This record gives sequence, C-alpha cells and structure tokens, in this order.
Amino acid sequence: MSRRVVITGCAAITPIGNTKQGIVQHLTEGISGVKAMRADGLLTEHIHSGVFGTVDYPIAYDFARQHRKTMGPVAYYACQTAKEALAASGLSQEFITSGRLGVAFGSTHGSPTVQRQIYRTFFGQTDAKLSSIGAVDYLKSMVHTTAVNITKMFGITGRVISSSTACTTSSQSIGFGYEAVKFGMQDAMLCGGADEYDTTTVAVFDNLLACSTEFNATPHLTPRPFDVRRDGLVVGEGSGTVILEEYEHARRRGAPILAELLGFACNNNGGDLILPNVEGIERTIRLGLENAGMRADQIDLVSAHATATKMGDVMEAQAIGKTYGQGPWVTGLKSYMGHTMGSCGAIETILTLYMMQEGFVAPTLNLDEVDERCAMVRHARQLIQAPVQTAAIQNFAFGGVNTCLILRKAVP
Amino acid sequence: MTRDHVRDAILKIFSERFEIDQPGLDEDLRDAYEFDSIDAIELLREIELLLGSALTREEKKAAMEIRTIDQIVDYVLALAATRPAN
Repeated sequence: MSRRVVITGCAAITPIGNTKQGIVQHLTEGISGVKAMRADGLLTEHIHSGVFGTVDYPIAYDFARQHRKTMGPVAYYACQTAKEALAASGLSQEFITSGRLGVAFGSTHGSPTVQRQIYRTFFGQTDAKLSSIGAVDYLKSMVHTTAVNITKMFGITGRVISSSTACTTSSQSIGFGYEAVKFGMQDAMLCGGADEYDTTTVAVFDNLLACSTEFNATPHLTPRPFDVRRDGLVVGEGSGTVILEEYEHARRRGAPILAELLGFACNNNGGDLILPNVEGIERTIRLGLENAGMRADQIDLVSAHATATKMGDVMEAQAIGKTYGQGPWVTGLKSYMGHTMGSCGAIETILTLYMMQEGFVAPTLNLDEVDERCAMVRHARQLIQAPVQTAAIQNFAFGGVNTCLILRKAVP
Repeated sequence: MTRDHVRDAILKIFSERFEIDQPGLDEDLRDAYEFDSIDAIELLREIELLLGSALTREEKKAAMEIRTIDQIVDYVLALAATRPAN
C-alpha cells in the first residue's frame, strides 16, 4: 500500500510570530526575532553568547486545569499549535478520537524548566523531610511530554511516535508521520515539535564554541548563515504542528489541502556525532528526491538547515551544490529566528508552505557577503517574488542524523 | 488546630492550588470536579506543609479512599492529633 499524503492544517509559534500574517510580514520585511537573552539565574552569566530566538509576545491559552496540571512550558507551546492546526484542518471530533489519527511529536529533552525545579529540590535548600517533588513533575518534564499531552487534550487514540533527535526531532516527526499515513497505518497524523526557552542547550553549544558571541549588542545581526562574518548559531524556542492526511480522505471531506508531502529521507553519517558530513547530507538529499520521485531540476526552493556555524554551512552548501547545482533558490530561515531546536523542522516546513502560498522566497537574513566556500549555490539574497511549486526542507542533528522533506504546492 | 481552621486551610488550598472554589463539604470531589489520584498526591504534599510534618507511606495510603472535603478535614485532624502542635 502506498498512498498520497497532504497537509490539511498547520500552526506555529515562532520568534517571528504565531500567525501566518505576522510571520509573512517578518519574512518579507526582513525583521529578525533574535533578541538579547534573558537571564535565567543559573547559566546565563557563564555563557558567552547573549542572544536568543525569543517568543516575547503574549499567547492566550485557555487550557482547562485538568490538562494544565501535566504540562510544562514546552507542552503549552505544543498543545497550542496542535489545537490551532486541528481547528484549521476541520477534522471532526469523531475522527480525532477514532484511532485513525496518530501523533508524532517531540522535543529536545522535554521541559528543562521543570527538570530544574526537580534538581533544585534534590540539591537545594528545600526541607528534605517534606515531599517536594510534585506528583506530576515527571509528566511535565519527560521527553515525550509534548506528544502525550496532545493525545490527552484532544482524546487522540492512534499511534504515538515521539522522536527526540535534537535538531531533526520535528522533521523526523513529519517524516515518520508521513510514512504512517503513506503505508496505511493511520489515515492522518498530527506531527511536529516544540522547545521552550532553555539555556542548557545554549550552554552545550557555547561550550563547543558553536554559538554566536560577536553580536550580543546587536542581536538582529545574528545568526548569519553562509555569510563571511557568521560566528555560530543562535538557540531559539517555538513550536510547529502540521496535520498530515491521506489524500483521498482529505478530498472526500472537502478539507483545505495546503500542499502535498511527496517524499522523506532520513539517514545517518555513520561516524562522528558532531562534525558535519558532506557525503551524508548529499546522500540524504538524493534519497529524499528519489523517495519523492523527483529530479533535482524539479525543485524550486531549498530550505537549508543553515545554522551559521563555521563548517556546517560550508558542508551543506557543498552538498546542495553537488545535487542541485545553481538551480533552486536556497534560503536559511534560521537567520530570522535562530535555531528553534526540536521545532525547527516543523517551523521551517510551515514557513516554506507560507512562501509557496504567497509566492515569494524570503532571503537569508544577514547574508551580506557570501563565504566563497558557500558560493556554489543560488542564494536568495533579497526578497524574491516568484511562484514556488516545489521545495526541499533539510535538517541535520547532533548524532549525525540527516533528514530531507519534499513538498509540492499544487495537488494535481 | 481547630476544625474550622483546618477546613479553611483546605478550602484555601483547593481554591489556590486546584482552582476549585467553595466545593460542597460532602460533595464527591472526583465526580464533581474531576479531582483524581494525581491531584490527591498533590494534596498530600500540601497537607504535609500544613502540618509541618512528613506523612508515612501508610498514612498516605489511608488517604486514597477519601472523597469529600469533610473527610479530608477528618483526616487532617486525625494526623494532627498524632503530632506535636506546631
């Protein structure tokens, strides 16, 4: 069994907004969501990087206490985008609870905010004679907290996949959800990823000298993918959800079909856990195209992982150059909001969808002078008004994990 | 620790911690407010703070059949009677 899979709903919370209108405005007007990192009273004074892709606008949550009590900040983000995406899809309550809808959703490491509360209880000055760890702290903090708070809130009874592969968490969610629908295990999958404000992740990259540190006084000027002055990544927060649905099921019920997911590939470099690997990335891209039944010259746009690290961008540009040449536009969406970690694959898929719908390519922000080692591809350097029919979204993670998703706007 | 004092303290916890305001004193909390076993564990932690004293495992297990505010008040008063006043 091999079935067509379409996107029938999506929603995002990002450092550049949580509505399509707001996000498109940031992308078309070149407005960054990177801000000064707010102090956390623990790590920020030890971290050299002082910037963060920040969600600093109010979000009107209306979750009932029965749901809130098992949710940490990351689950708030996840459930809010899940709620909006489900509403946009128009899926009926009967279908949502039927067992034919599953969830593929993850985060980098659950809720670090709640984990810190637990550690404070263990190692802090709390009166050890009294119970201080809440009955629900584990449920709030565990690595699959996003996926199962979504199933609880909406009564979803299908399969649950909760990938946790750092930067490929949500691109895997979409890919594995796609396969679940394509091969008939589920008729629809709610897919995505989320990560909350967390300086632990910043500290990890900072310690590896991979974080941006030269633009602390001018946060909007970093990250700078493919630029000669790039000095590392910027960690961010957010959430993205897409509803994947079997094409005939979506068509029969008159659902809004936003795009078709044509293919997915996931592989591993088979070696180092940190160093970027051009052969691994190139193989992912070719596998993705093969899975989608597409040729490289049929792709209009590549949403690059483009974290703005010294070597990662060079390896990625070389891999894109080898597979696509100068054909498709290449943009690095992290330049607008930093690296939203477990949510980046889903958020970048949604932003790509918005660009397809509105017929433009957002330029890579802060790409003032292209590093000659990254110059072999067709960088989007200013706003391009052009139809985008097909796109590839690529993401790579620590551990040598690579993913590639192939999208098509029109459904023939 | 009088009965009125304990009841007021418990109602305050229910309002602030569980967003359940002025429940009937003999209402079944599970039926009326979806007050479940996870909530019960959280309530036991609040009772420990109220008493200023940790509960034994047996004391906690004894709380699992409690259903109403009145029963909670009885439970807390019984615990208080076994502990030195603070």
